[in-house]
Amino acid sequence: MSNDKLILVVDDDPDLVESVSIKLESENFKVQKAYDGVEAWEKIKAEKPDLVILDVMMPRKNGYELCDELKADDNYKDITVVLLTAVGDAVTSTSYTHMDGKTTMADDFVPKPIDLDNLMEIVKENLDVS
Amino acid sequence: MSDYSQKQNFDPRILIIDDEKRVRDGCTKVLTAEGYSVFSAQNGQEGIKMIEASHYDIVLLDLMMPGLSGFDVLGHVKSIHPETVLIVISGYATLEHSIKAMKKGAFDFIPKPFSPDQLRVTVSKAIDFTYALQDIATEKSRMRMLINHLTDGVLTTDTEKNVVLANPAFLSMLDCGSISAIGKSVSQLTGNKKLHDLIDACLSIPDGEFAELTEEIDDLNEKKKVEMVIGAKALPFRDRTGRNIGTITMLRDITAANRINREKSDFVSMVSHEIRNPLGAVMAQLKILSDELLGEINARQKETIQRASLRLNALAELTTDLLDLAKIESGLLVMEKEQVDMKALLDDLVSFHRPGAEEKNISLKLETASGLDPVLSNKVNMEEVFSNLITNAIKYSREGTRITLTAKKEKNYLLISVADEGFGMSREDQDRVFERFFRIKDAKRRMITGTGLGLSIVKNIIESHNGMIRLESEPDKGSTFHVYLPIHD
Repeated sequence: MSNDKLILVVDDDPDLVESVSIKLESENFKVQKAYDGVEAWEKIKAEKPDLVILDVMMPRKNGYELCDELKADDNYKDITVVLLTAVGDAVTSTSYTHMDGKTTMADDFVPKPIDLDNLMEIVKENLDVS
Repeated sequence: MSDYSQKQNFDPRILIIDDEKRVRDGCTKVLTAEGYSVFSAQNGQEGIKMIEASHYDIVLLDLMMPGLSGFDVLGHVKSIHPETVLIVISGYATLEHSIKAMKKGAFDFIPKPFSPDQLRVTVSKAIDFTYALQDIATEKSRMRMLINHLTDGVLTTDTEKNVVLANPAFLSMLDCGSISAIGKSVSQLTGNKKLHDLIDACLSIPDGEFAELTEEIDDLNEKKKVEMVIGAKALPFRDRTGRNIGTITMLRDITAANRINREKSDFVSMVSHEIRNPLGAVMAQLKILSDELLGEINARQKETIQRASLRLNALAELTTDLLDLAKIESGLLVMEKEQVDMKALLDDLVSFHRPGAEEKNISLKLETASGLDPVLSNKVNMEEVFSNLITNAIKYSREGTRITLTAKKEKNYLLISVADEGFGMSREDQDRVFERFFRIKDAKRRMITGTGLGLSIVKNIIESHNGMIRLESEPDKGSTFHVYLPIHD
């Protein structure tokens, strides 16, 4: 029983994309995959997802840039963006001071290394599915 | 005042210049008996010859002699040996003569005729003066030698920013070579804005107020194309009444230390990032397996996978701590300081950690007086410090114990203590607990995971805020960490 929500998973690590996708599919989401920011844009234009799980450090176009572009585009700004942030990226972050996601237009963020259960909770919360 | 060891080796040489043989012989007898080496000359010409040939500490000089007068000899002696002490002897003991002789640099005046006692007292006074002069001269040359051989640059100025002293190391840092800097204005030596601002700031510190100003200067010498980073420290220089009479600036070349630190940090960051990403991917894969998303597994397989995940998790934590440490040590950690309300911060932390404590039935509470002074600090850093201390206290405490945080003012510090009733530690462990990667391994603590970096990070942060951390602990009674943070006005 699919919940008809489409999620795009973007990360340059194929193993991570695969694991996240398996988890999402087990929760009945439809999944698209991309491995850098440029490819992600193409996938978004081809089929608009409800939510994008977006890595920050990627070749060609990084997650911050893609997020800014999506949020600046009237056709796509309603897509929920969940950033995957690594401790040590740009801003100081401790176990409970997650500043990275908040400095961008992203709707939410998940620190790396990813806790899949936590990711799933955040995805469901943002898409309002149980 | 005087340097005792020098006094012992000091054998004062005294020259008597007088045309009266009776006076020469009398003085020689009295002074030789006192243990001095005494020499004599019977007129001005002979006296000058002797003075030119060797050095005398004291010269007893008759003012009225045939030929060259005592005044001429006096002027001549002062020009060759300015530190020689001159005592004038004269039968014409008029005020006029004595003033004239004193003006020309005589130390004292003995009227003829004089008694042996008068001579002894006057000479002994002159000897003491010589000692003092010698001490000052020795001390001065010792200081000069020391300063000239320092590898740190030293610059002292007067209140008008004119150079009073600039050692070779300082001139070489400025690439001024061997030019004579003394008396020149600092702006003639360098146009470096940071250095000027530092000295100006130092000069504007009000009298009676003490401060030490520091600055990192990386553009001191623009002619040299190589990288040079200088740590500068400036202090106002005060006279005995506390009045500002100039500045002392010390420059230390910290280029190499900076570079090594940066390279080390780059390396640590690189390694940590390169390790974290694959770690994260593997952890997610194990999670998929243990959640049976790819098919059922048996209980032992599941347990093994979960244990593997725990180990990876510990590794991931280690990389986080390594990154934090690298950031703190390289100063990359954005140290923007603000006035932080510590009571509010600790309140938040206590609420945040309370659920964790309650899982072990530990009571966690904060006791503070209201109206605590704010602490000028980096808020994220402070959260890190106290979160670390609270987490440790919970980790190393038994069920049903208490953890108490207290905050109070103590002199110029805010003292925040985190006290637990946990495992505590031995004297030897207390000495090592702030070392990197140090972890106490005993039966009670074997199953508790950690990286051994937490307290090292805590200490680093506190010290970068000019604070201190102290530990009181007793095995099986508990530990209390005392954090002292300076309160700025």
